[in-house]
Amino acid sequence: MTTNNATANESGQTPDVALTINGLAVNAHPGMSLVEAAWHGGVPQVTSVGCLEGVCGSCRVMLRRGKEVTVGLACQTFVEAGIEVVFLPPASAPRHHYEISDFKDGWDIHARFHKIFPEASRCRHCHGCVKACPKGIAVEDGVAQAVAGRYREAGETFFECVMCELCDAACPELIAPAHVGLFSRRITAHFHLRPPNLIHRLDELRQERAEACRDEDGKK
Amino acid sequence: MSKGIPLAEALARYRADAELGQPPVLSDIDALLSAYHPDHMSGSAVKLAVGANAGDSCQRELAELLQAEAFIDEADLAGAPVTDIDVLVIGGGGAGCAAALAAAENGARVLLATKLRLGDSNTVMAEGGIQAAIEPEDSIQRHIQDTLRGGHNIGDPALVSALAGDGPEVLHWLINLGMQLDQTPSGDLHTRRAGGMSTPRLVHCRDYTGLEMMRVLREAVIQHRSIEVWEQSPAVELLSNEVGQKCVGAVLTSLLDGQLRIVRTRSVILATGGLGRLHLNGFPTSNHLGATGDGLVLAYRIGARLCELDSFQYHPTGLLHPSHLAGKLVTEGVRAAGALLVNGLGQRFIDELQPRDVVCAAILRECREGRGVCVDDQRTGVWLDTPRLERAQPGLLEQQFTSLMTRTHVAGIDPRREPLLVHPTLHYQNGGAVIDTNGATTVPGLYAVGEVSGGIHGRNRLMGNALLEIISFGRRAGAAATANRDRGPKKVTLEHVNHLRRALTLAGLPMTQQAPQILPAYAAGGIWNR
Repeated sequence: MTTNNATANESGQTPDVALTINGLAVNAHPGMSLVEAAWHGGVPQVTSVGCLEGVCGSCRVMLRRGKEVTVGLACQTFVEAGIEVVFLPPASAPRHHYEISDFKDGWDIHARFHKIFPEASRCRHCHGCVKACPKGIAVEDGVAQAVAGRYREAGETFFECVMCELCDAACPELIAPAHVGLFSRRITAHFHLRPPNLIHRLDELRQERAEACRDEDGKK
Repeated sequence: MSKGIPLAEALARYRADAELGQPPVLSDIDALLSAYHPDHMSGSAVKLAVGANAGDSCQRELAELLQAEAFIDEADLAGAPVTDIDVLVIGGGGAGCAAALAAAENGARVLLATKLRLGDSNTVMAEGGIQAAIEPEDSIQRHIQDTLRGGHNIGDPALVSALAGDGPEVLHWLINLGMQLDQTPSGDLHTRRAGGMSTPRLVHCRDYTGLEMMRVLREAVIQHRSIEVWEQSPAVELLSNEVGQKCVGAVLTSLLDGQLRIVRTRSVILATGGLGRLHLNGFPTSNHLGATGDGLVLAYRIGARLCELDSFQYHPTGLLHPSHLAGKLVTEGVRAAGALLVNGLGQRFIDELQPRDVVCAAILRECREGRGVCVDDQRTGVWLDTPRLERAQPGLLEQQFTSLMTRTHVAGIDPRREPLLVHPTLHYQNGGAVIDTNGATTVPGLYAVGEVSGGIHGRNRLMGNALLEIISFGRRAGAAATANRDRGPKKVTLEHVNHLRRALTLAGLPMTQQAPQILPAYAAGGIWNR
């Protein structure tokens, strides 16, 4: 990569950082992200890398520093001496099923929520999800807001969620908080986003189309 | 010619409260573009020797892939498991998901295969917004005119009017799926004016528009009963009928076990995105890891006509620093909100809301003529004056550009206090497979939507038209592909690959390189050394 050679010289003077990635010893330059370190060290089978800027949620890693184990995103985490990094497999298929087109009536949405996400009300406040979240989202609060039917607030709490689903993996009650958050956001838009400027333009276009059809019929 | 103003000197000269006035008047846009735009760099383009575009001008690195050898031949297919499906969608970004949902809405059984994870795409990184003519003073006609003019009047008017006409309905569809968009206090959708727009038309969800769109689409696809998703499954080849002239399926591999799988179908929708990760002309890129131009290679090999292969968009404001974010974008929305571009001498040098190619060429001019801010031997850029924006509209960066603030915060930079160093970055493939208003390519059975397709943006895309295009044309192709109710393939072959091999041999071209590339070499080879 010619375009990225610039800092190689700078880092040439500082000693390399030794770490392990997927069990392989890697020597990286200081300031490299874990993704760059994996590439630099030629670690095979690292295919869960996407955007490289922390919004796709794909490069999930487990990090071990001595006895402390945490999770994070590899493109947002930087190399440290002695850290052990394991790229995690993709999240499993969702356990909570709904299609938004099935929701015709906003009045029964609360009952439906608890039917789709029966575990959500069983949160035991273990903070596993909060600790797992690489975006610093107050995941537990968001789940509590959804359980109370405050979907707009819950959705706002999850605004920065990148769907890495690390909170889902961390939840002992199988709540799937990331999906609770996305559900909250989706039904808020589905039932409450009714912008007058858009509605007006859609109406105009509908009338134009109807007139065009009438003109067409008239000609025949 | 000096290399530029050293960083420390430029910083000392920079003042967020300096009175800057108007930028110099730009007299000759064409001269600026031909002197400084990367598309016009000497040696950037070559003539294609084989295929549907033989004789056409094509960017050099792309030409090597379009005229490369395939990975497989008939012998490799023996014993490969076969899946039959109504519609195969290749690509799991916004365009692929929209196409899959539209096909499923129309009653098709859909298989969506994607190289990485569902949603890993450039869509998820799109920050700025989506264009739709919804303001009272705006009209579909103005949207069409702006798009054509922005693309230097090369775009296909039929495609552009389809795109612009779909705008309001696309927003309606997205809101129904559960996508949130920013509103004004009175409840209208909030719009911004960005480069090349004659009036505010950019609808957005703070600066996470693409993320909001992608997580909603992804969830909708995963939850849909008629859509099956295969992740980590890149396409290595399309399949053709006995005469090599109709697309009847594809061969997929797996990044996990390397197993080839055959998919037989009536319609294939290519939604594989762009090619930033080929790092054309040595530029950094804003693109996600999978953007290696695979769809163009597959489409060209089966005979599809492509267009504008020598035209790429270099986004004006890629980050120069910190280096792990090199090439990553600062959204144009920041300029739309009022941030200025300032050179190393502390002067404005271009109207910041000119189309992207013009702003990009102007930045490269400043850098090449010694007025850039020089970090070291290889890195020169200009300032994006975010502190001025903060002074003018306190709190705006934090409220509306959360993504930018989060990313720079991780690297210990505060755009409210210090200006950002930016340099153009390879961002978008303006051209691609030639399509009609249904997204159909020139090869029967093969559709192309999103960045892999061409003809809409001419030689320069306006901000917000890509997010509109992927939904508008994704849905069009999904519906059209489902309407194809022929009996399906009798025989699936690699006859088109044989055609290409003959043509390559006749043209005397080497067959040493294989394509599609699938992943950048540095992601697998231990050669990353920044």
